[in-house]
Formats: sequence, C-alpha cells, structure tokens
Amino acid sequence: MTAQTVIFYAFAAILVFAALRVITSRNPVHSALWLVLSFFSSAGVWMLLHAEFLAIALVLVYVGAVMVLFLFVVMMLDVNFDKMREGFRGYIPVGATVGLLILVEMALVLIGGYLPAGATPSPGQTGPGYSNTSALGRQIYTDYAFPFEIAAVILLVAIIAAIALTHRTRRETKYQNPNEQVKVSRADRLRIIDMPLEKKE
Amino acid sequence: MPSVATLAFDYVPALPEIVLLVSACAVLMIDLFVPEPRRHVSYWLTLLSVAATASAILYVFHNTPVRTFGNMFVADAFGDVLNFLTCLTVILMLVYSRGYLAARGLFRGETFVLAMFALLGMMVMISANHFLTLYLGLELMSLSLYALVALHRESGTAVEAAMKYFVLGALASGLLLYGMSMIYGATGTLEINRVTTIIFGGHANRTILIFGLVFVVSAIAFKLGAVPYHMWVPDVYQGAPTAITLFIGTAPEFAAFAFMTRMLVGSLAAVAFDWQGMLIVLSLLSMIVGNVIAISQSNVKRMLAYSAIANMGFMLMGFLAANVNGYSAAMFYVVTYVMSSLAGFGLVLLLSRAGFEAENLDDFKGLNQRSPWYAFLMLLAMFSLAGVPPTVGFYAKFAVIEAAVDVGLVWLAVVAVLASLIGAFYYVRIVKLMYFDDPVDKAPLAARSDMQVLLSLNGLSLLFFGIFPQQLMGMCVVALTRSY
Amino acid sequence: MGGFDLSLLSQPTLSHYLVLGAILFAISVIGIFLNRRNVIIMLMAIELMLLAVNLNFIAFSYYLDDTAGQIFVFFILTVAAAESAIGLAILVLLFRSVGSIDVEDLRTLRG
Repeated sequence: MTAQTVIFYAFAAILVFAALRVITSRNPVHSALWLVLSFFSSAGVWMLLHAEFLAIALVLVYVGAVMVLFLFVVMMLDVNFDKMREGFRGYIPVGATVGLLILVEMALVLIGGYLPAGATPSPGQTGPGYSNTSALGRQIYTDYAFPFEIAAVILLVAIIAAIALTHRTRRETKYQNPNEQVKVSRADRLRIIDMPLEKKE
Repeated sequence: MPSVATLAFDYVPALPEIVLLVSACAVLMIDLFVPEPRRHVSYWLTLLSVAATASAILYVFHNTPVRTFGNMFVADAFGDVLNFLTCLTVILMLVYSRGYLAARGLFRGETFVLAMFALLGMMVMISANHFLTLYLGLELMSLSLYALVALHRESGTAVEAAMKYFVLGALASGLLLYGMSMIYGATGTLEINRVTTIIFGGHANRTILIFGLVFVVSAIAFKLGAVPYHMWVPDVYQGAPTAITLFIGTAPEFAAFAFMTRMLVGSLAAVAFDWQGMLIVLSLLSMIVGNVIAISQSNVKRMLAYSAIANMGFMLMGFLAANVNGYSAAMFYVVTYVMSSLAGFGLVLLLSRAGFEAENLDDFKGLNQRSPWYAFLMLLAMFSLAGVPPTVGFYAKFAVIEAAVDVGLVWLAVVAVLASLIGAFYYVRIVKLMYFDDPVDKAPLAARSDMQVLLSLNGLSLLFFGIFPQQLMGMCVVALTRSY
Repeated sequence: MGGFDLSLLSQPTLSHYLVLGAILFAISVIGIFLNRRNVIIMLMAIELMLLAVNLNFIAFSYYLDDTAGQIFVFFILTVAAAESAIGLAILVLLFRSVGSIDVEDLRTLRG
C-alpha cells in the first residue's frame, strides 16, 4: 500500500459518506455543508489524477461561489422542511433498490469493461517541469477558442436570466430626483385659491 | 517549447453565428435606452437580426462540409438547411406571439434577447462537430428556454412549469454528460468525426461504448420528449405562456433532430445496430402513449403536447431505419411537424387575448362561424398533424412508414398506422367543434396584418407541400447526402 | 478467487475511479428519488451527478494522457455554475409565487 493508495481510499470513503449525507440530511443547510465536503474530497481525488488546476477551481468556484449561493437561497427561503420530509421513508425501499441496481450494473460493466482484457491503460507520464494549469490554459485560449466564447455567452445568459427573473423594482424605496427638484416652479407647490373672507349668513 | 498561440481560424463558415451573437448583444444594449412605449424598436431589431442571420446562412451555404475552429465546428448542407429553417421558425414565432406577449407584459427586451440566445444555442448545436460544442449549444439553448418559461413571473403555473423543465432538463444533461464521458473513455476522443474513425478502426472498447450509448440515447429521448422520458412535455407545454410553448415546441425540434443526427449518425454510426433497438422501443411507446393519452385531454396545449410526443415517435421510426432514406424521411417529418405545429399554436395564440387564454377545447367551438378562414387554417394544421391527405403530414407519415417497412420492420409500421388512426380521433374532434358547434366565446378575432399574412401562408404551405412534396423531400435528401 | 478481494483494495486503477464515479452517480439518482418533495435537495443531487461525470472525465483524461477530458470538465464547471444560478432564480420565484418549494404543492399542472 503506497501513500497514494491510502489517500485514494480515504478520500473516496469520505466522498461517498458525504454524498450519502447530502441526500439524507434532515436539514438542507446540513445537506449543503455535506455537499461542500463532497467537493473538497473530490478535489483531493482529482489531485491524485494530476488535475491540479481543476481541483483548485472546484474548491474556489464551487465551494466559494456556487455553494454559498445555495446556502444563501436555503436561508433566504423560510421553508418548513420537516413537512417535506413526510413520505421520505416511504421512498427509501424503492429508491435504495433502484439505486443499488443501477450501481451494481454500472460497476459490473465498468470493472468488466476493463479488467478481463488486462488492458487497463497506464497513466500518462509527465515530466517535472509540467504545469497542468499552463497546459490547460494554452489549449483553452487557442484550440478551444470557439467553446470558450460560447461559454461566455452562457454566463451572459445566466446573468440576464437571473436579473430578469428575480429583480423587483421596490416601490417603497424613496429617492430624490435632482432634475425634478431644480425644475420645480411656483405653480407646482403653491395653489392660490379664492376664498371668501367671511361666512355668508 | 511553448508553441506560439494562434487564433488563425477560418471564421467565414461561422458568419451566421457571429452575426447573430453580435446583433443579440447590440439589441441587449439598445433595449436599455428604448423607452417603454417604443418597445417595438427592439422587436423590429430582433426580427432584423434573425433575418440577417438567415441571409448570412444563404450567403455562406456549404455544399461540401467545412470544419473549422480546431475541428469543433462543421458547416455543411445539413447544418445550413436546419439553421435556416430554425431562423425562419423563430421569425414566425416572434410575429405570431407579438400580441400575446404585449397583452401579458412580456413584450420586453429580455424576451427577445433570450430568444436570440436560444437560437444561437440551437445553431451551435446544429453545427457542432465536437461533444463539447454539442453540449455547450444544448445548454445555451436550454438555459435560455428555462428563463423564457419563467419570465412570466406573475403566473404561478409558468414558474411551476419552469421548475419542472429545469430539474428534468438538468437531469438529462447529467445523463448526456455521463454517456459522453464513457464514449470518450472508449474511443479516446471527443471529436465527432474522429469517434467514427476510431470505432470503425476497431480501436474502441465496445462494452464501455455501448454503456455510454445507453445514457446518450436516454438524454436524446429526454430532449425529444419520447416516452418514457416525456414527463416534462405536457406540464411545460401547458404551464408556459402560449407564445413560449410555441417556441419550445417548434425550433428546438430542429436542434434536437440535428443533435441526434450528429451524435448517432455522425459519431456512432458504427454501432447503429445497438441504438436501432433502443429507438424502436422509444418510437413504439411514444406513438402509442402519446396518441392514447391525448384523447382524454381537455386542454388544447396539453393535447398538443401529447401530439408532439406521438409525432416524435413517428419521426424516430423513420430515423431508426439507419439509412439515408430513413434519415431524410425523419428530417422531412421534423420539418413538416414544425410547420404544422407553428400553424396550430399560432391559432391558439390568435384566439387568446388580454386576460384570456384560449386553452380549452371549448374555446374552439364554432370557430367557423366567427371566422371561416381561421377555422380552415386550423383544419389544415390538425389534418397535417393527424396525417390526413392532401396535407403534408400525410406524406410525412407515409415516408417514415415506408422507411420502416424497407428495413423489414413491418410490425412497427402496422402499429404506427393503428396509432395514427387512434390519433386522428382527437384532431378530428377539434375540427368537429369548430364546424358543427355553436361558439361559446363570441369576442371578435383581431390580429395584426403581418401575422394574418404569415399565418395564412403557413397554413397554405401545409396544403402546398402536401400536394407537391418532392421539392421539400429532395432538399432533405440532398442536405443529408452532401453531409454524410 | 482469493486474490480478488485484495486486488480490489490495491493501487487505484482506472476501474476504481470509474466505480467511484458510478457510486456517486447512483447516490445522486437515489437522492432524486428520495427527495421527490424537496426541490433544493434535487438541485444538490444534480450537482453530485455532475461531480460523478467530472470524475469520469478526469480519470479518462489521466489514463488516456489527453487533456481534452480536463478541458471538458472546465467547461462543465462553468456551465454548471450558470445552471445553478438560473435554477436557484427559478426556485426563488417559485417560492414567491407558490409560497413553497414542496413538489407536492406543484399540482396545478395535471392532466
């Protein structure tokens, strides 16, 4: 058992446990935190696969931005989560059976697909001067320029959509409009009315 | 050792996409400075942009495939034809839905811009030659569509439909990506045409490849709305504002068809035998379930949703023949389905007005007395969807059935004929309501003249291509043979 | 067959990573089944599914010695972030208009 093997099993075990807790937690805030742990342990596994840049991006982008967004929304919405747990136990037998079936079938294919032939590919060799980040960067900005632009458009759509969907102009906000204040004239503010001085008898 | 970075690509084949992206960004900015009463400026600019994109497609039309951007983008006759038709569909959709959107406070810059970005996503998908661009195009289209459905935020049903659409759509993307990762693992490449070469060369791990194929076919079925992955279709069609339903039910069908063709024909043709079996199941279930459940619907949009499911089943029947005849029959089917669906939803939009949705079958009662011409157009649309001669839908159904019989799937063809007979019932019911019942809703029908003209042309084209289908069929065959 | 158990706990190979991906994928599917009433957990389950996919791509990329898989993951991360933003925006709208994110309450659309 090399250190790498130990690290793999440790991270894999944490990852699976955290993922299970994501879907079984009573409280969505806990689910979100377990999801953060899943991302962290995934990042560890990715490191073992020499994907340093993506591992760091996962932690920065996912944990730093997306999960914060999730937590923000969970806390902003005042939802009675206990009510939603009703029926959860009822789904467990079906869910667990389906999930286990999927898992067993997938595992059979994936192990069987590679092991019997003895053709497990050997990992790529990288020299000491190799930088994962610059290797990816060099390709993303050249060969992958077209997908890069499309990804930019996708982010633009996300911005437009998120603003168009959730932005509310708050009527209760009070603000001054200097333009109107300057242009104000006597007629806007003062009304002179004719009024008899005495009550008519 | 670091090579000099180069961006020296051939940009001309992507001219239509570039035109669309630039003008979408321009409309997005201009719209900010357009005061509310002059919103139609953004609308006309949008129409102009899409028309310019369509002209650019004709300008760069490719008779032989051209690949650029590091083999990620392909411009070929197949893509150009579908891109052009998608642009036309979006133009019709914008014209048809103007009054409807205006009456519901949706006549806004965001609607137009999101529609343009959705169109861009479809075009990227249609021209994709790499799993990555296929995926990104799909996401660009889907994300814009989710937002378009939810844009009518005052409507609880629209938001609910958007949520269902989103969750199931995201799930489908997950399946697709899982499948793509397996194909990548089996072949070692993500470029569509290299996948084919590697599989034919016998360098692919077959078990893993078929395993990935299952996921990819499931994802395609999700996007097409084929049974058993159809759960989202009725809810989204019914819940979304009708103008958006018209959009979701028409243009993306082209993109989904192109997606299927690029994926299954372009890269996985070598395992055609395996996906043929899966498509037979999808096609069979869709035709039966779609047509049978549609009968019990009282909501027109929901009925048209089940009709869409059934029609996708018919389209798949042509596709699964896995030869040029079958693919062109399927392409012809998609084109005619979109034409018929545009006319059908266009009339639903026409009958709706501020504060009133013509959603129920009863709203069509006595349409003939209110307007014989619109009743006739609706009759053409319904007959075309049902496959009644002499409308184009008949020829389309005939072509896909012929394609299935040619490859020996006679039993499937028989089921298809029976299913379309069952289906004829609910289409004819609308015709009966229009011609033989008295109107419940007597409000006058008003539409802008551009919509009247285009809707009439749209309806009459169903009849025209039904009598002279050769040109349209020829176009599909040429587009496919020049590209594959 | 005695060595089989030992080989499973040996140095991680491609199959190990793929099976780990499959486990994550299965957990995510179970999660969608179990939390049929809670949309927000469904969204988290979808994130788990993408994590499984990303693991597959990275594992293949490493064993095929090809960076294309890693670049694909880079784009998946970007798109998934955009997707979550839109999904959560719709969720907020849903909460405002229906007053709940419980799928059981989403019963207007039935037929």
